[in-house]
Amino acid sequence: MAKTGFIRNFKPLEILTEEEVESITRGTLEVLQETGVRIEHEKALKLLESNGCIVKRDENRVRIPPGLVEECLRKCPSSFNIKARDPKDNVIIGGNTTYFKNSCGMQTIDLDTKEPKVPTRKDNYDAIKVLDSLENLHVLGPYSAYFGFEGVAPVMAIPESCAGKIRNSTKVQIEGYANDSEIFQIQMAKAVGAEILQQILCSSPLTWYREGIDALYRAVEAGFPVTIIGGQVLGGTAPVTIAGALVTNNAEIIVPMVIAQLIKPGTRVLAADFIFPMNMRSGAPTFGAIGCSLHLVAFNQIWRRYGIPRYNATCGYSSSKSMDLQSGYEKAIQGVLASTSGANLIGLHGAVSAELTFHPVQAIMDDDVAGMIGRLLRGVSVNEETLALEVINRVGPVPGHYVAEDHTRKYWKTEHFLPKASDQLTYPEWIATGKKTAFSYARERMEKILVDHKPKPLTPSQEKEVEKILEEARKHYKNQGKL
Amino acid sequence: MSEMLKQVKNAILAYDAEMAANLGRKAIEEKVDLVSVTNAATEALKEVGDSYNCGDAWLPDLIGASNAMTGLMSVIEDELKREGKQREPVGTVVIGTVYGDIHSIGKDMVAALAVAEGFRVIDLGVDVKVDSFMEAIRKNKPEILAMSALLTTTAPEQGRVIKMLKDEGLREKVKVVVGGGPITADFARSMGADGYEPTAPMGVKLFKKLLGKGE
Repeated sequence: MAKTGFIRNFKPLEILTEEEVESITRGTLEVLQETGVRIEHEKALKLLESNGCIVKRDENRVRIPPGLVEECLRKCPSSFNIKARDPKDNVIIGGNTTYFKNSCGMQTIDLDTKEPKVPTRKDNYDAIKVLDSLENLHVLGPYSAYFGFEGVAPVMAIPESCAGKIRNSTKVQIEGYANDSEIFQIQMAKAVGAEILQQILCSSPLTWYREGIDALYRAVEAGFPVTIIGGQVLGGTAPVTIAGALVTNNAEIIVPMVIAQLIKPGTRVLAADFIFPMNMRSGAPTFGAIGCSLHLVAFNQIWRRYGIPRYNATCGYSSSKSMDLQSGYEKAIQGVLASTSGANLIGLHGAVSAELTFHPVQAIMDDDVAGMIGRLLRGVSVNEETLALEVINRVGPVPGHYVAEDHTRKYWKTEHFLPKASDQLTYPEWIATGKKTAFSYARERMEKILVDHKPKPLTPSQEKEVEKILEEARKHYKNQGKL
Repeated sequence: MSEMLKQVKNAILAYDAEMAANLGRKAIEEKVDLVSVTNAATEALKEVGDSYNCGDAWLPDLIGASNAMTGLMSVIEDELKREGKQREPVGTVVIGTVYGDIHSIGKDMVAALAVAEGFRVIDLGVDVKVDSFMEAIRKNKPEILAMSALLTTTAPEQGRVIKMLKDEGLREKVKVVVGGGPITADFARSMGADGYEPTAPMGVKLFKKLLGKGE
């Protein structure tokens, strides 16, 4: 029994004509064949060469023939299951289903001073507990909730964060990679009967480093699914135009898909969109820009045509430095457009100030946004019951009303979404209850969750196994002089 | 201003490195005073810089103008040297992306902006080994060493370079500035760098500040 996620019951939003989709996909094939990509990985180069790619050894440049690209894309499943520690939290990625995942941050936020601060182990574990409790959040993001925490050496950040998620949540998790961390995260997931959605990231333009391809090989060999990210800055590491950036971004994502399908046909892959226009004043990425949304709507349309599931990772990031109006509108606009254009997984919850910070209070507010989007996707149900002609006839004009009708009692909660943290009071109620905002409600909800929510613990033998793997990781890095 | 100098200025303002280089060659042929050529180009560069500072021009403009300036200087620099009229740079910067890392965009932006600010820039490129940094520092005696790393795995390489500077007795002779995606001010401090900035324009401002030439 898997989590169903949110089902979209209407036609997806499309922004490109059929001819425009053709031009972009043709452009991608041309780039892969003519420009080629740089791959810093001997084993992958050999594999591609033996399958008909032209490899220029002196610059590790690979040119991939269109036939091979299309053959490999056809081998990618259009939908697939990912196993969680608790089967009730399994997800089935693909089709017209949308799930939400959280984003992460380098640090946490001191709620009183609103300044970033280094998270403790307790902050990290508490944040995961909150994420575990949120009903509109289905997948935990990489490094969650923080990139690291107090007392943990940088080299152990990913293994420790992976263990933190396994210990404090039963939800499916994505994990990143650094210093071969995937070796240990794969072991930990297997120890608790789960899978990890392995994330790998391109170095745009058109370059794949050894580490990402190593992580790909390890995940594929372990039989785990992989999500592949281009990760471009438009005008910096990609063309500044949306169409040009789609061409190179898709080429970057296709390369590991080809490798994965050559290693093991049928490997589960998820195409991830994570691009930002460059801020032409500072050179930094512009989080929350409408360019991100334009790109992801087109991206979803193209990857629906490829028949490969889609993950939109930009939606959880805003350029705003605080949990404010800008943060809300930048996330909501992206989230709505991602979901209505056919994203299967959307990163939304928890990040504040782009990737600088994360806070569970923000995640709780974002969970309302995810719930609203989920309700939107379900669309408008039209049938004899919902048309309500019989009730309308019975109630008639004023002084008739609907509040006492069985029809109202039956449908109001399913027809309409009830947020948990949004302020929906009347003005007098708002004054009488101390002028609380969504932020105060979310903070109260967080405190209650931390008292009430008890994630399903690991069994003693699972806990022992996870700790043993962490100890092996520590030894491994000590031997390498990194710890 | 003569027609030639106007053309030089326009080439910089049009971000046209090729035209700037051609004009440099023409100036040498026609024995135009190269100091006035340099001054005309610098004036154009300053116009773009001022325009950036008041929000009318943007990074692609600054970098375009800077690359045009580099195009010009690559042609006339040697001739200026021969004439003993080399322009006095604000300072010298040795810059590179560290060993194991092939990311160039951040480093290229800093290098271009430093040229625009009047620095002599020795760009060692990407994937630069510790020894190559040491050799360039001994040879060029820069005031600033700027290093870039975009990967969490290569960021510590900057610390290795700083350690080697200490071991070789060069640490006091050069200010070390680090930058790149995974770098933070705390991390920069912990490696013993003199400074860190998150963006290219701020980085170049820091160069000037470290030389006591900042605003």
